[in-house]
Amino acid sequence: MADGEIKVGIISCSGEEIPEGTISRLATRRVLELMRPDNTVTICLPLFLAGNEAEREFATKHPTITVDGCSKLCAKKGTEKHSGPVSAAIVVSEILNGEGACCARSAKCQTETDKEAVWLVSEEIAKAVDSIISENCCCSVENADTGECACSKPLPGMVIEVDGRPVTIAGLSLIFDHLAENGLAADDLCGDKLLETVKIYHQIEPEEENVYKTALISAYKKYRRQ
Amino acid sequence: MTIDVKKQKIIVMPCSGIGKVHGLIAREATYAVTDELAPDSFEPMCLALLVSGDEEALAKIKKMDCITVDGCPKLCAAKNVEMAGGKIVRSIRVVDAFKNYRGAEPGTATKLADDGWTIVSEIAGGICNKREGEVS
Ligand code: SF4
Repeated sequence: MADGEIKVGIISCSGEEIPEGTISRLATRRVLELMRPDNTVTICLPLFLAGNEAEREFATKHPTITVDGCSKLCAKKGTEKHSGPVSAAIVVSEILNGEGACCARSAKCQTETDKEAVWLVSEEIAKAVDSIISENCCCSVENADTGECACSKPLPGMVIEVDGRPVTIAGLSLIFDHLAENGLAADDLCGDKLLETVKIYHQIEPEEENVYKTALISAYKKYRRQ
Repeated sequence: MTIDVKKQKIIVMPCSGIGKVHGLIAREATYAVTDELAPDSFEPMCLALLVSGDEEALAKIKKMDCITVDGCPKLCAAKNVEMAGGKIVRSIRVVDAFKNYRGAEPGTATKLADDGWTIVSEIAGGICNKREGEVS
């Protein structure tokens, strides 16, 4: 996708109580992953309250489609209340004429009927995406990436030098930010905590732990000085 | 009115984060508890109801104990329940469960692999074990 073209935001209610919430989540993911991966982005709805200002700006930066499980329209109402107006609102129970109630909430129990329901809803979402893109094809959105949920794209990696070789660690800046917020001082004693946290996301062999620790201490100190 | 916690169900509230496998693990751990292991003791609630400010949901969350299951350190479920005035008796982080599964391949935000289901079982079992005696 060329610079300046819009990315459509899709926000799913993912309602936990009813099967239609599961369908809203899966259909949204299908569009993001398979059907319109280059034209769409997402954000977790609860981040509007739990997150920061950039995250709340999501619907002002992206023309946004909400996908709700039922007529309570939590994603639509939540987005309009905390972020901005929505361009289209899709309701799973309406598309499926109430038949989604027989589907499964857990992926463990999914049947062909559930998959068909997801497929039908994702087709509707994709149509709404295409319609928004065609309406906005001449417009650009400045800084369209601002406020985009980190969930919608791979975590940016940071390169550190481990024993003389460059190693990319996905999400390292987020890990550093999180640890800094929690008061981890950038001194020579921070290595154990850094290593313990990075190991959750990045495989490190036991024999390499010491060289990683040294590299992480040095990267964390440099990061905190910036 | 005093609520008798022993007789009341506990709400399990996952973040269901849409972009990472951690969100799906949180969601499936919730269903493992509320649909299979202990449906008489726990029930799920739509987190989005709190975000939209649904009055019925806000009233309910203030009356019941709640266990939150969050995928990542942003703790969306816990923060939203707190903001709604709910009582969190336990806050679980999926990333913490990963510490015991270094190098695991849990699957994706759409589909769990075997390692992902193993982590789901561990989290769900941990929630159920806490029901009696009560939650710390
Ligand atoms: S729209 Fe319906 S399914 Fe979705 S979160 Fe709200 S109540 Fe639950």
